[in-house]
Amino acid sequence: MRRFLRDNSLSIVFLLLFLAAFCGQAIAGHADFNDEANRHGDPTISLARYVVSSDFGSAVMENWQSEYLQFTLFILLTVWLLQRGSPESKELDKAGVESDEAQKVGPHAQQNSPRWAKVDGIRRTIYENSLLLLMGALWLGTWLAQSRTGVVQYNSERLDHHQGPVAWSHYLTTGNFWDNTLQNWQSEFLAVGSMAIFAVYLRQRGSPESKPVGAPHGATGVEG
Amino acid sequence: MGSRVALFACLLALSLVSCGTGDREDDAAAVAHRFHAALEARDGQAACDELSEETASKLEDQEKKPCEDAILSLDLTKGGTVADSRVELNSAFAQISEGGTDFLDEGPHGWMVSAAGCEPTAPSKPYDCELEN
Repeated sequence: MRRFLRDNSLSIVFLLLFLAAFCGQAIAGHADFNDEANRHGDPTISLARYVVSSDFGSAVMENWQSEYLQFTLFILLTVWLLQRGSPESKELDKAGVESDEAQKVGPHAQQNSPRWAKVDGIRRTIYENSLLLLMGALWLGTWLAQSRTGVVQYNSERLDHHQGPVAWSHYLTTGNFWDNTLQNWQSEFLAVGSMAIFAVYLRQRGSPESKPVGAPHGATGVEG
Repeated sequence: MGSRVALFACLLALSLVSCGTGDREDDAAAVAHRFHAALEARDGQAACDELSEETASKLEDQEKKPCEDAILSLDLTKGGTVADSRVELNSAFAQISEGGTDFLDEGPHGWMVSAAGCEPTAPSKPYDCELEN
């Protein structure tokens, strides 16, 4: 058990952090929702109803979609794009999908390689891109969920102001949808871009996200 | 893995919520129907019972008479059926087939009419209402 916890501590700690922050967001969001309801003389709602409301749903989904977009793009673009000196980049002569030999697939697979890495055809194509496919599907799914919950919130405000509701397809063209989307995207792009550059010159001893402390600034694709 | 489970649980919950708006639409539509039926029966008190407190109070201030008298003097559709209704969170609207649209808010006592006899003006502008808060 101790060994399992140690071997999986990164995933476990992040899962616990996620659950704590998620519950915290639900409690804080519920308090804020009811404060707002009291200000407008509207009825307050229970925590159980709040966590299945579109108010909470859109707040969660707009953050999730941008996180999954960040990883989708990062996985995809780092196949071809490089950053000299960054541990986030691969070595400068390895841009592209690389050879079967380098990727240890098909006849170059090792005995302990995943089964779908050893075979040819559609199964290998799927497995070769499985990380990107899952992240991309999660991004599109959560972005869709953001739009579906967002239109309910948007229409609720319109009805409050005695305006007619709009269709979901119309909502996708509104400033509200794109403001909620792009405010999250810009922060993700900034974070990834700055990490790629900062890690050229700065170090964190012991972290695989950093180069070894003594590695030269020009060393690319080296992790500590 | 955990976040994926949470994601699917959340999406499931959201889809269940969206499925659950049908009953609430019926409730909101029933209130709008009762409101217009009361107007047709010239029962001002019954019509005012369906109004939100804020809307009834504003009507009394504007018309300088009790709600049950003031409501009957407005140019609102008498009777009629609800052609379409829609609920979004705590707000709803109901289109009356004989003309006009009502807006409703969900309060501690259920759905209440907050505006009635409304007609659209421009897409980005509020409806023009005969009665509103």
